[in-house]
Amino acid sequence: MTMNKSAIQFSDVSLSYGTSDNRVEVLKGISFSINADEIVSIVGPSGSGKTSIIMLAAGLEKTSSGAIKINNEDITNLNENALSAVRRQHVGIVFQSFYLIPNLTALENVLLSLEANQKYNKDEEAISLLTEFGLAHRIHHLPSELSGGEQQRVAIARALINKPAIILADEPTGNLDETTSKNMMQLLFDYTRAQQTSLVLVTHDNDLAQQCDRIIELKDGNIV
Amino acid sequence: MFNYQQWLFIHRYAIRDIRRSYKKLWVIAITLFISLLLLSLTFSIKQSLNDEIKSNSVELLGGDVQINSGITPLSDERLLQLSKLAKVSQTVNFFTMLSKPGEGAVFTDLRSVDEHYPLYGVVQTEPAGAREKLLVETGAPAVLINENIQNQLQLKVGDELKIMSTIFVVGGVIVSVPDLTNSAAFGEFAIISKNEYDKFDLRTAGSFLHHDTRLKIPKSNDYDSIVDAVQSLLADDNNIRMKLPSDSAQSLRRIIDNFSNFLNLVSVSAMIIAGIGISNTLLSFINQRNTSIAIKKSLGFSSQTIQLIYFYEILVVLLSASIVAYAVGVLSPLVANLVIPASFGISLQPSFSLLDYANVAFIGLLVVLIFSIPSLYSIPSIEAAALFRNTFQSVNLHFSAKNILYLLILAAILVAYFVLQTRQQTLTLSYFFAFFVSMFVFYGVAKFLIFVLRQLPAFPNNTYKIAYRNIASKKSLAPIITISLGIGLTLLLTLSFVADNLKREIVQSIPSMAPDLFFISVNKDEKEPLEVFIRTLDSDAIMEFNPMVSATFVALNAKPIESLVSRDNRSHWAIQGDRRISWSVEPPEDNLIIKGEWWKPGNSEQMLVSMDSRVAEDLGINVDDEITLSILGREVVGIIKNLRQVDYRGMGTNFAIIINTAFAQQLPFEYVGTLKSEHPSGEIQSQVLRQFPNISAIKIDRILSKVGQIMNKIFIAVTSISLIVIVIGMIVIVSAVMVQTSLRKYNNLIYKILGVDFATILKAMTLEFAIIYLTLISFSISAAAFASYYVVENIFTLQWQLDWGLTLMLTASTGIVTFALILLANKNMFNPAVYPLIRNE
Repeated sequence: MTMNKSAIQFSDVSLSYGTSDNRVEVLKGISFSINADEIVSIVGPSGSGKTSIIMLAAGLEKTSSGAIKINNEDITNLNENALSAVRRQHVGIVFQSFYLIPNLTALENVLLSLEANQKYNKDEEAISLLTEFGLAHRIHHLPSELSGGEQQRVAIARALINKPAIILADEPTGNLDETTSKNMMQLLFDYTRAQQTSLVLVTHDNDLAQQCDRIIELKDGNIV
Repeated sequence: MFNYQQWLFIHRYAIRDIRRSYKKLWVIAITLFISLLLLSLTFSIKQSLNDEIKSNSVELLGGDVQINSGITPLSDERLLQLSKLAKVSQTVNFFTMLSKPGEGAVFTDLRSVDEHYPLYGVVQTEPAGAREKLLVETGAPAVLINENIQNQLQLKVGDELKIMSTIFVVGGVIVSVPDLTNSAAFGEFAIISKNEYDKFDLRTAGSFLHHDTRLKIPKSNDYDSIVDAVQSLLADDNNIRMKLPSDSAQSLRRIIDNFSNFLNLVSVSAMIIAGIGISNTLLSFINQRNTSIAIKKSLGFSSQTIQLIYFYEILVVLLSASIVAYAVGVLSPLVANLVIPASFGISLQPSFSLLDYANVAFIGLLVVLIFSIPSLYSIPSIEAAALFRNTFQSVNLHFSAKNILYLLILAAILVAYFVLQTRQQTLTLSYFFAFFVSMFVFYGVAKFLIFVLRQLPAFPNNTYKIAYRNIASKKSLAPIITISLGIGLTLLLTLSFVADNLKREIVQSIPSMAPDLFFISVNKDEKEPLEVFIRTLDSDAIMEFNPMVSATFVALNAKPIESLVSRDNRSHWAIQGDRRISWSVEPPEDNLIIKGEWWKPGNSEQMLVSMDSRVAEDLGINVDDEITLSILGREVVGIIKNLRQVDYRGMGTNFAIIINTAFAQQLPFEYVGTLKSEHPSGEIQSQVLRQFPNISAIKIDRILSKVGQIMNKIFIAVTSISLIVIVIGMIVIVSAVMVQTSLRKYNNLIYKILGVDFATILKAMTLEFAIIYLTLISFSISAAAFASYYVVENIFTLQWQLDWGLTLMLTASTGIVTFALILLANKNMFNPAVYPLIRNE
């Protein structure tokens, strides 16, 4: 029997905001682990802490207590620069609102991800991925010249170009119509399975969650 | 550490960002360009002028060596010795009257020249070659006059002129002389031959004579050894001063230094205010890129990399602005040539100096660093986590203890850099101190206004409520308006108040107190006949005559005075060359003795001295000190008995040095006098000149109008330059307004939805500006009034008055222009489109 390598590991993680008088507990000592080639969806009602898990896993938020490991490296007490390094080397993020840089073309947005990792002059690689995503005719277009679906495909290409070990997707189809959403998720699933990358998907869509290897359900900051 | 590839990425990214977002950086580019241009112009013109002086130093001096022997010529024996070493040329300058029957007379700087003059360069005349006419001995002697004399006396070549009692014929008009003189350029200047001068037989002790002997050392000879030989030849005479080409045009050099220092201070002020704009624009640039920065962080870029990208962008803008500004600066001497009077004979050449460019760019870099640090350090507070929540908060300027330390160090370097480059270090340091204090004061003014408004009861009026909210909000324009406009306006008002007071005193107060005519070169034998003659013209005329003799300040307490007093000393004039001294039994009227006591009559053996208290203070002289004066070639040691407060404002005859009458009785002397009369002064002047051709009678109104004209020119130049600070301030305000346009548009939309009409919004904006501006000008006027009062009353010792008309004109025009620009910058916010804003687009 082979042991799956853990990509993300949360151990008794709590997250709270505010002062002692007015404290909001977002996550209450949750623990879970996601394997390297696993596709996991996180579901739950609004305010249950889904997005907070993504933010913590991306090193964009600090835990109040507990520990987080990314690719077996404890990131709990890393400083901002070290967390940036973890993010650029191991993590790709897909947002609900796409978040492309408005004054960069589709190609430049994808290349930016490589450049963050000090990989320069990789235009061919980026063009090839964008072509694979059906965007060959759009590579020199600015985000404002792309449709919502095209923008999200560029955003996914940007997240995948570095071949990260972990992809964190926060409601990636939230701003897309049903058909486009399905195509988009198929693209994401196909690619992550092909690359044996772990995918953490925050979603309200039960059908989408059902397509994942595993579902983590949250309620009031606890895994249920 | 960053590697080459990373730097290349930062460079490429920054250049691409500038190319695509250059419109957002225009304020930084424009304000940097204007302030760097002013700095470049200063460096470039100063460099060109100094180069011109250096390359023409021999011509400007008029020889390889200039020997000034004051009111007496060099002895024949000395001249003989000098002529063995070099070619010798002698000139004598003195002031006298030139008159043309029926056209009046002008007081002129008359130069007599020998056949060798000029040793270097040429005297340019119209018609050409008129210089040679001076040597012609047949018929009436020739005189060359400058354009000012020609215009005033309506003269043409061949006309007759009277100098003393001799009739001269105008031989030509002087265009330029190689050895620059102020009179040739700005005043009345004429040249006659030395032979004709000798015929005047001027031997009086107090004449304003200035004997110069110039030497031209043959090229084949050893220059240094001849200069040494000349020096040793003249060493035994303290009355003789020797100048070498390196000492030429000292006063011009000093004027250039002072003016360039003033320009430097104005340009650094403009640059610091531009810095506020840079800081503001950069912060808004960062806030506009809030999302992009968060995205970059989500991709793994560190804050440091992002800071470097934006800093690199600013550096590229700085580099471009500084190169263009310096290039314009380098070419500016060609334009300057058009405004320099032809009589100067100066032709400036553009001079490129890498060091000068580095100087300009370094100052720009310091300012950019100081003002970009608080903006760039706001980048770490932008969180990528906001991308998940769609909640972006605007960031503010970041002032941590570390940042403040960096800023203080950089500000200290900037100040030290300027202070160390100027001779007027205390003044420059004081200016910087006042400038930084003013910045804090004007920031405090805005905060004070907001505080006061918050204490006031709420007025039930929509216009006021909107205006109040805008002023008291976190994004209030009040601080940026008060700081950006406050300093420039205060500088403009201060300069205007000082100039206005000086002009008023010159045009009104001084003429009412001053005499109508000055008489100089009055021989002691002519004094009484002159008084009697004037009495026949006006029996009520008030006349005052004082004896005088020329003297040179040689030593203080047996130490050579020139070794004790620097050229920058305010009272250096008192030790420079020959000065006129007088004597009196009683202290002059209105001269208050502030230290020591007036002497008792008698004591003809000892020279007792009364000195102008300000000169004494500047030169470090005290009661009981010993001063050595050279009077008519004889060195006399005197004792300072008292210090007097001298009021020069009355323009009567005042003397910095007065000696005791008992000692002075043994000296040969002449008189200087003044006349105040109810009769037309021009008529008295022409009658006196006809009767006493050797006396110079000068109309005071002519001098005052000349001083007034010069003052006007200086005033226009200085205020125009200081306007640059206001222009930069206005650009900064416009940029601040534009930064807020989207917020204001959004607010106005809400007002529009709530039914507030356009007129109310416009009235609210007007009221908002009026409240801020009125607060600002009340502080600016107070500060300017205080500063100008100090300058006028203490430095110029004139009477200060505040001209409300001028104040109103300056503040109203500045306010109207600023408000018009604010409205222009806001033109899109008055009628905001509803749809895009409701959709958050």
